[in-house]
Amino acid sequence: MSASAIAAVAVAAVAFVATWAAWAAGGFAVDVPWAPAWDLRLSLELDGLGLLYALLAAGVGVLVFAYASAYVPRHLAHEGRPRREEARLHGAMALFLVSMLGLVLARDLVLLFVFWDLTAIASWLLIGFDRANRSARLSALMALLVTTITAVLLLVAILVLRAEYGTTQIDELIAVARPGWAVALAGALIAAAALAKSAQAPLHFWLPRAMAAPTPVSAYLHSAAMVAAGVFLVSRAHPLLALEPALLDGLLAIGLLSIAVGGLLALWATDLKRLLAYSTVSQYGYVVVMLGVGGAAGAAGACLYVLAHALAKSALFMTAGAVTEATGRRELPRLGGLARRMPLLAAGSGAAVATLAALPLTLGFFKDELFFHAAAERGTWLAVAAVASAALTLAYLGRFWGGVFLGRSDAEVRPVPRRLVWPVVALGTLVVAGGIAPGPFAALAEDGAAVTAGGPAPVDVAYHLDGRTENVMALAAWLAGALLLVARPRLQGALSALARAGEAVGPERVYTASLAGLNALSNRIHDVEVRDLRARIAAVLVPASALIALGVVLTPTGGTYAVGPVELEDLPLVLVLAVGALAALATTRPRRHLRLALALSAVGFSLAVVYALLGGADIALVAVLVETLFALLFVGVFSLIPARELRREARRRSTGRTRARNLVIAATSGVVTTLVAWGAFSRPIPDDPAAERYLALADDAHGKDVVTVILADFRGLDTLVEITVVLVAAIAVATLLHGRFRA
Amino acid sequence: MILVAGPLLVLWVAGLALAALDGRRRGVGVLAIAAVAVAFGLQAVLLGRVLADGPQELVAGGWAADVGIRLRVDALGAVFAALSSGIVVAALLQAVATGVRSRSLPALVVFLTLGLSGLFATGDVFSFYVFFELAMIAAYALTAASGTAREVGAAFLFAIVNLVGSFLFLIGIALLYRATGTLEMVAVAEAAGRLEATTAILIAISFFVAFGTKLGLFPFHFWLPTLYATASPPVAAIFAGALANIGAYGLLRFGGAILPNELALSATALIVIGSVSIAYGAIQAIGRRDTREVLAYSSIGHVGYILVALGLGGPVGLAAAVAFSVANALNKALLFLSSELRGRLTAAIFLVGVLSVAGVPPTAGFFGKAALFDAGVRAESWWTVALLFVGGALSFVYVFQIYQHDRWRPREQRERATPLGSAGVGQRLAAGLVALVVLVLGLWPQPLLAAGRDAAEAIVVARGDG
Repeated sequence: MSASAIAAVAVAAVAFVATWAAWAAGGFAVDVPWAPAWDLRLSLELDGLGLLYALLAAGVGVLVFAYASAYVPRHLAHEGRPRREEARLHGAMALFLVSMLGLVLARDLVLLFVFWDLTAIASWLLIGFDRANRSARLSALMALLVTTITAVLLLVAILVLRAEYGTTQIDELIAVARPGWAVALAGALIAAAALAKSAQAPLHFWLPRAMAAPTPVSAYLHSAAMVAAGVFLVSRAHPLLALEPALLDGLLAIGLLSIAVGGLLALWATDLKRLLAYSTVSQYGYVVVMLGVGGAAGAAGACLYVLAHALAKSALFMTAGAVTEATGRRELPRLGGLARRMPLLAAGSGAAVATLAALPLTLGFFKDELFFHAAAERGTWLAVAAVASAALTLAYLGRFWGGVFLGRSDAEVRPVPRRLVWPVVALGTLVVAGGIAPGPFAALAEDGAAVTAGGPAPVDVAYHLDGRTENVMALAAWLAGALLLVARPRLQGALSALARAGEAVGPERVYTASLAGLNALSNRIHDVEVRDLRARIAAVLVPASALIALGVVLTPTGGTYAVGPVELEDLPLVLVLAVGALAALATTRPRRHLRLALALSAVGFSLAVVYALLGGADIALVAVLVETLFALLFVGVFSLIPARELRREARRRSTGRTRARNLVIAATSGVVTTLVAWGAFSRPIPDDPAAERYLALADDAHGKDVVTVILADFRGLDTLVEITVVLVAAIAVATLLHGRFRA
Repeated sequence: MILVAGPLLVLWVAGLALAALDGRRRGVGVLAIAAVAVAFGLQAVLLGRVLADGPQELVAGGWAADVGIRLRVDALGAVFAALSSGIVVAALLQAVATGVRSRSLPALVVFLTLGLSGLFATGDVFSFYVFFELAMIAAYALTAASGTAREVGAAFLFAIVNLVGSFLFLIGIALLYRATGTLEMVAVAEAAGRLEATTAILIAISFFVAFGTKLGLFPFHFWLPTLYATASPPVAAIFAGALANIGAYGLLRFGGAILPNELALSATALIVIGSVSIAYGAIQAIGRRDTREVLAYSSIGHVGYILVALGLGGPVGLAAAVAFSVANALNKALLFLSSELRGRLTAAIFLVGVLSVAGVPPTAGFFGKAALFDAGVRAESWWTVALLFVGGALSFVYVFQIYQHDRWRPREQRERATPLGSAGVGQRLAAGLVALVVLVLGLWPQPLLAAGRDAAEAIVVARGDG
């Protein structure tokens, strides 16, 4: 065993023992402030429900991690990959375990959410472990997207509850929550997130895909982690969900749908892991149905079911892995007769199959007893559905075990390491022990169920040799299941049709089509993205103009756009402004660059005259200086550009459409700028108290005129920074001129 | 107050000194890192002081507040100042570790940081513009500094489009001064409340377009994708993580604090424009197979969330806008800094950024996203919540798609040549530090959430109705 494998097994073993010890010592609780700004608390507490799931995650973890320590090096060797990649898998498995433990212990919903998403991240890393494999990548992405996007619904639910009740502590919420829209909405969102995580129809499709992961990952993911997290959340939040009976009815419906979809597809599938994956969908359907029935009976049934299922399902996945390792095959029709060659594996997995199919002398018998009890309590129709479900389960599990271990095949059987077999045997022994002495298992389930039911939920397990309803239902289920198993070859056509229909219009198809559609849409939009400079500037100006126009239209303009009186003494000003306007219009005409530059200067010089006429002699001087500099600069730059380039540019004719477009852009920008300026300048000038103060303080600043004092002292910081701006501009110019543009 | 003036003085002196030195020499780079680090340290202390004792003030030249330029650092400014300088420290560290090819880069980065630090610290509208100009011109120069034809092309576009935005901003400031008769922000905010509706909304729109252009909001974003994808990773990190904060801060300061009535009036428009940006950025990002191009479009999408939070308004909405902006700046800086690095450790660092952008715990991005959802839920604006959900779902798609493409796919199947070999220690350290901050804020969100709350409070107090 590599060091990372030993570490992973050790983590799981320590977690198991610590959980057990903490429970035996009377529980465990931590509660410290986390983010007081949001009243979040780091609160972790071990209760019956947490104990059940924590022991499963850690206990099954020990066995699966030990199995992985033998399986993964062989898997890597098959693929010709270096052995050190093993550490990545063990690390992610340990993360998986720790986040499951955190999830089941968390009492603050935000904290719970953190662990909830961590399980999704861990499973993503694990499903995508075989990175070079395209299908592994796609499957990992699918599992991640389905579970994390739906997880956001859980986040919204938490925030809805927080907004309504001011807390994120689950116990406080359960105490204060009352039926109403907030609980209904939050409950529905919680249920949606949980059901997606537990791979319930119609969001079940990611789970069969997730079998792209190495087998130990599947064994863990399907039993004690990830998928279990979904039903755990429903169990944890059940007192809230139970406030709205419609939510429980919804659970019931989705659970039944999942049992049917998963069961029928499991009956159809021939790939070992795929068959088991569909069976997980179906079996968590049972749990969801029982949570939908609710009450003490439902809670008790759900907890015992999760327990029995986790033990058996991990054993079956490990069986599939060992079988594939031994024979190199994973298709049922190509397998058979392994009972003689691998008797221990056959016995261990036989016990696991028996417990899932609820045969007597296994722990699983009692899980179906409780299921039948809960269903019969709800009504005859559900009792009938329950029997049908159990029959379906028996049929596909019988087919799985029989197909692998009975009959005959030409497969060559290579020896496998003992570590691929004994975890299965250990789990098989455990479920048989549970069938003979169910007491400890029942106690574990009972403590868990009490949390879900919000009160005592007795788990009564014993063999009764009488004609009570549950026994009759069990007998009926076995009989129907046996018939179904026999009749299965005739149903193959119908089952294939169902599977094909699912592939053609099912939710997985919706997922892949949306993903492909989004990528295609993205490419199409990308192709039409604006690329030239002119359009990029227009993309700022035109929307800005539209917004300003919208602002003018939507607000009362009373008095803003008044036209003041024009006196005779304004005549020079009007004339100069007219010259400026004409010069501005003239800039649109020239094709030669020099003329264009001169026309631009004409606009600037006429504005300088406007400043002079308005009494701003200093500003006018600055404007003249700037305009002169710019005119010279333009001429200088033109002399640097090869004359041929300038002529070529000048000869370019734009199309009529471009000209029309430019006209519209220019006109709208101009009109809108006018509106803005007019809107501001038509108001009376407000008093500027600072002006008086500047004048009064000019002497204190030892300045002869106020403008100098403002620039050099009162607002000297601005001046200093502006000088720095000039410096930076000089650096930029120097950089550009110095660097020969490398291609 | 030495804490207010200190960072500016340190950066200004260092910038002048560095301008005279050859930035390609390692010692010069280290000096620049030290200067920005000292400024960051002072700003971090200042942030602590502001959160404990309230806004810190200083009037330049020791004049009365109505005569000189008042520097006034409140929680909002202090958060953004420390955030931006911190990101610049990390980016500069990576630039120096990678090897600086342009002699002016360290000086320009220091001047850029000076501009940012100044505009987050000032309480004067015009002084804001001056510092803003300094930061922008340093940014233009920075893009041109490495000097390949493609980069100069991108820099040219960046400069021209942003100059249009700056010009609109200047018009807005002129109008604001004309209408209120003062430049001091608190007084402007008071006077702005008495303006006619049309004048005020036109000023508000000029500011919105100006900051929208800085942020790279749809449809003002067309300069952004090429620039972010062509600039070197540290420079892109400075742009996305520090420079873009001008836009977020500007919208919060000018919209939230100075023109709150106009902000409330345009709530619907803000949410609509924000939504378009979210959808546009996300959908563009989905089809891209170059990490930095994905990041560029993702930036366009993510600034839409800031706008939506502003549109939701109220203390919760503003707090969400701040918390999300902080997380978003950290995420983008982290992703750009780690986008071109290879090796196992850097894959983990990059993954932290990926999770944070998607809003997956335990990262700062998760609490940024949670704050947005909280604002939507509390406003009972279910359309907004649905929008955030869809936008978030799309970001899950592109961010994990590109991660798998870039890090999982066998090298020969990638659509773009990715770098070979492992990154150097300094390069990893720079990205690792930001990743650490993102993780710590994810595990211990109190600073992030409290900063959002306090900054939002500063905005509400500044507008005088708190």
